[in-house]
Amino acid sequence: MTAHLPETKRKYDLTFARWVSRNVHGGDKLNMCMQCGVCSGSCPLGEQMDYGPRRLFMMIRAGMKDEVMKSDTIWNCVACYRSEVRCPRGVPVTHILDSLSVVAVREGYAEAKNAETTRFAKAFWWSAKKFGLTDERLVTALYYFSGGIGEGIRKGMANQKIALRMIGKKRMHVGMPRKIKRRGELKKILAKAVEIENRNDAAAGEEVKS
Amino acid sequence: MTDQNGIGVYLCSGCAIGQSIDVDALSGIAASEFKVPICKTHECLCGDEAVAMIAEDVASGGVEKPVIAACSPRVMTDRFQFDGAQVIRANMREQVVWCHPPGDEDTQMLANDQLRMAITRATKSNAPEPWKEGEFSDKILVVGGGYVGLSAALEASRAGTDVLLVERSDQLGGNVRRWSKVLPDSPPYGTPRDNPVPGLIAAVEGDARISVMTDAIVAQTSGQPGQFKVEITNGGSTSEEMVGAIVLATGWRPYDPNKLGHLGYGASPDVVTNVELEEMLAAGKVAKKNVAFIQCAGSRDPDHLPYCSSVCCGVSIKHALQLIEADPDVMAYVIFQELRTPGVAEDLYRAAQDAGVIFMKGDVKSVGADLTVVVDDALLGEEVPLQGLDMVVLATGMVPNSTNIDLPTRELGEDEEMPPLLRSDIDTTAPITVAGYMGEEPAAVEKREETMPEGGPLLNLKYHQGPHLPMLADGFPDSHFICFPYESRRTGIYPCGPLRRPMDMGEAGLDAAGAVLKAIQTIRLVRDGASVHPRSGDLSYPKIGLEPCTKCRRCTIECPFGAIDETDKDYPVVNPARCRRCGTCMGACPVRTISFDNYSIDMLTSMAKSCEIPDEFDEKPRVLILACENDAYPALDMAGLSRRNYSAFVRIIPVNCLGSVSALNVSDALSVGYDGIILMGCKSGDNYQCHFVKGSAMAQERAANIEETLASMMLEKERVEAMEVEISDAERVGQLIDDFVATIDEIGFNPFKGF
Amino acid sequence: MSKSYTYYPGCTSRSSSMHLEKSLRAIAPKLGMELNEIEDWNCCGTSVGHIAEGRLPNAALSARNLALAKDRGEDDVVTACAACFIHTHDANEQIREDEGFKADLNEALAEAGQAYDGSLLVRHVCEVMVKDVGVDAIKAQVTNPLTGLKVAGWTGCQTVRPFAATERGGMFDDFDDPKFMRDFIEACGAEAVEFANNTSCCGGSVAVISPQKSLQLMKTILDEAKEREADCVATPCPLCQQNLEMYQDLINKEFGTDFQIPVVFYSQLMAVAFGLNPLTDAALNQQMIPATKLVEMGTK
Repeated sequence: MTAHLPETKRKYDLTFARWVSRNVHGGDKLNMCMQCGVCSGSCPLGEQMDYGPRRLFMMIRAGMKDEVMKSDTIWNCVACYRSEVRCPRGVPVTHILDSLSVVAVREGYAEAKNAETTRFAKAFWWSAKKFGLTDERLVTALYYFSGGIGEGIRKGMANQKIALRMIGKKRMHVGMPRKIKRRGELKKILAKAVEIENRNDAAAGEEVKS
Repeated sequence: MTDQNGIGVYLCSGCAIGQSIDVDALSGIAASEFKVPICKTHECLCGDEAVAMIAEDVASGGVEKPVIAACSPRVMTDRFQFDGAQVIRANMREQVVWCHPPGDEDTQMLANDQLRMAITRATKSNAPEPWKEGEFSDKILVVGGGYVGLSAALEASRAGTDVLLVERSDQLGGNVRRWSKVLPDSPPYGTPRDNPVPGLIAAVEGDARISVMTDAIVAQTSGQPGQFKVEITNGGSTSEEMVGAIVLATGWRPYDPNKLGHLGYGASPDVVTNVELEEMLAAGKVAKKNVAFIQCAGSRDPDHLPYCSSVCCGVSIKHALQLIEADPDVMAYVIFQELRTPGVAEDLYRAAQDAGVIFMKGDVKSVGADLTVVVDDALLGEEVPLQGLDMVVLATGMVPNSTNIDLPTRELGEDEEMPPLLRSDIDTTAPITVAGYMGEEPAAVEKREETMPEGGPLLNLKYHQGPHLPMLADGFPDSHFICFPYESRRTGIYPCGPLRRPMDMGEAGLDAAGAVLKAIQTIRLVRDGASVHPRSGDLSYPKIGLEPCTKCRRCTIECPFGAIDETDKDYPVVNPARCRRCGTCMGACPVRTISFDNYSIDMLTSMAKSCEIPDEFDEKPRVLILACENDAYPALDMAGLSRRNYSAFVRIIPVNCLGSVSALNVSDALSVGYDGIILMGCKSGDNYQCHFVKGSAMAQERAANIEETLASMMLEKERVEAMEVEISDAERVGQLIDDFVATIDEIGFNPFKGF
Repeated sequence: MSKSYTYYPGCTSRSSSMHLEKSLRAIAPKLGMELNEIEDWNCCGTSVGHIAEGRLPNAALSARNLALAKDRGEDDVVTACAACFIHTHDANEQIREDEGFKADLNEALAEAGQAYDGSLLVRHVCEVMVKDVGVDAIKAQVTNPLTGLKVAGWTGCQTVRPFAATERGGMFDDFDDPKFMRDFIEACGAEAVEFANNTSCCGGSVAVISPQKSLQLMKTILDEAKEREADCVATPCPLCQQNLEMYQDLINKEFGTDFQIPVVFYSQLMAVAFGLNPLTDAALNQQMIPATKLVEMGTK
């Protein structure tokens, strides 16, 4: 991936905010944030975040690119959409945090790459691409082991009891993974979509350089 | 008792009055004690039948002063109104049967005294002869030819009134004339509006009812509403005009930026004020890319203007939008403490956000000569240096033009006293608790020494109290902005627009219309010799018997409205059309020589004396309450309305204003055996609610003086108390009374009882 | 009168929330809903899909489902899973609103000879039950009222957010205090206890990925259910059901509590109230924490 986030030279250099506005889904609404803090106050996990959404949005305005991209705010969003529906200014908070996480991964921020969510997402995507469906058992296992053998075994053991009970209630599939029929079709669609995504991304990068 | 010609007593037994007290006994009192020839009882006195009955008695000429013993004088006023009659009301409902137990001996005694006081009042009240001497003018003088003055002139003209518009500069238009765009006051609210002033100037110049004088100032104003004589100097010549009322629209000037060195003013030519930027924009030459606006520059700051000028946030947003519209690459930063965009201004704020204006909340720590602005950023929680700016705009506030700043400030002569402009009055320099103030509740400040206002007087009033218009606070010449907008403490003179308080053009336009309506109302009322509000329509006015007058000057000094001047022999002379009928002069006069046809010290004392004072063996103390009719008396009615029972030992007399109560009323009451006296008025002090500005403050002062009188009579100081209540104090007022009566019980009875 | 709907079951219908699928299938005919599965449907992408490859590939998953659904010729696509609903609906709305996005997705779909124009409406099955079926019709099917059963109706977040109170979301309920779970519970003859945590979040996928972060959230929900003396918690959301049920042991261990509160789907309540078999039709045999009282009510 081509890193193409703009460099910011000083505080309140708007190049980053403008980049977010143009390239982050929902970012164009960020201008309207009036810093009331309803989002942070509504967030169930707000207390566990480096910065609440309100502060994060102000940091975007202030051009604090690295602090934003390294923050764990984007990884702790549980997507309950409470802030999004409550925002008096119609800022799509959840959508913006979602999109920022994509950017953080693409830009190669270590915090993003190593985030548990990212590892889980990679495992999940593997299943979706390969089978067309989510195989919860395989995705979970892959996720556990994505953090290394030791962590995988530890996490796996911790959850073994739950897994066994799920299996006992026929709520976790064992055996050969279920698959959709026309996997080739899906594979082609996804491959093309990835290609277009990269194409669009490169175009956005060009725009920044110019 | 003498024969009571002209009095008729009408007793109502409705609204539970008949079930709670013995109405026949009242009837007996009227007949036996007062020899009232006509006394009638009806079960519904406000009904058509009874009203027709009273009207007939009045029409036949037998009854001139119907005494209505029924509900509160505050209700049914339209029912009990009879041509040519002076109606006196005895409050039997709200202040007797609704707040005291039915069938009780004390309730009956209270009712009896209510009637006695009302009949006594009737005997002491004469039909007022209105004052209407000389010629009256209907013309309105508008001072100031800016947006507000132009609007006022046009409003007056539309109402059919002739206008003289006086502008001190050589052209109309005021501050706004030099601006490019203005804040929107009509849709679309998100877009700055074109300057309306050129259109207004054209309309004024084409209006046959409006005559305009530019380069002109008011050199002198004498007389009174309906008959103001104004001298106007225009260049070298002076002309004289008669006007009925004056609308002041002298507007505002920007706060002096030279006092804002700490925000970089003067250190760089690129640090400018919002007013300077306004003129740059109008000239069309602002080529700046990175602009920071510093809000509250010299505002909401105890060292500068302590108040919020209310428009600066909107104006900076407008400027930012104008700059971005001219060049989309402009980066505009608005650094604010609290962004104030009330009402439709919210749309403008949103438009600015949408356009990419950056709003930063926090304090400005420093502005460098290189234009680096260091902000203690409250939203980021850290100090941020804003670099690379090429212009810093200071959003300065408004200073009211309540004086003519072009004229020299008058110095006091060696032995000359400060003219009684504001003395013994509210502290015009004290902060007032209104939205926009610097803190939650302003701390009490030491009253600053009064000085002559900076600049010369606007109207140069030939009033004994001096040439200036009195100020309310912070230099705004308002008198009671909470309840009575546009009013000054000079009847017939109505300040409006940013002269009165900081406001935007939308509000100022409405203000102009409001002030013009006030002016027209005054012109019409004074023609009939009637008072303007709050005692609208009162035809009486203070009359001064000069023989006993000791020339003590208390009346001329204490009048809240400067209505009393002095003759060349130092005798007081009343200008009736300036008077608001509070009676502060009457309460001030040590020799009781000031009275109204229908209101006097003698009347109040006689009413108090007419009550039956039981001797101490009856164990029934008596407390006299002199209650201001504007807040205290209504609060007592409210207590009745909510059936709040309180001691029936009180006797309540409504007064025009607590200012009209004399210390003599208090000593007279004590000498006839009242055990305690309550002076019940409205809130005094810097946040006063007194309808007459300082009546309750005067009462507080007099109550303090009375302490000495009490001491000389060997009486406890607790027997006299000045209380302040609000109209909503229904519960509290009952408690105050009960507590006071309990105190009297503790002290014991007045030893002068039965003396 | 039965109405036919194109139905998107979602991955969990085959595994962790098989009991939702089973019970919904059991009650659907009684409510006049004919659910016809999209042929060869795939995963919706869930709340993490975009992180792996980006927004467009993630939406491509939904685009394929929608293109296949469109082939069925019906106007609506109905789903019972909160996450499937939100992601499919969201992708659909973006396709409708963003021409560039739509063109990009169609370029990808063309690889498989497919196309989609954004003309479908993605609906949550609860919205269909409120608006098309109606609570009265649900009540009419009750033969075994759940009298005496105290249920905490827990709507969770995503079923009503961010679409429920929008035009395209059917304006069917409120974001912060939705009523439909209460209506469903009461229609079944059970008592809907007051539940302030109605829309509280369980932690969603964060709970799956890093449980420790969200145990407190779930504990708050369980605390209230216990305080209200609820016999069970009922929810429409697969992830809510799974998280709240499977983490109770861990919560008990972490906080020293002793929660054993069954967490069921509204569809399971309805199945029992409609007189169907509590174990096979209502699929209460698949509860990890047995809903004993509800099972007993169905077997009397």
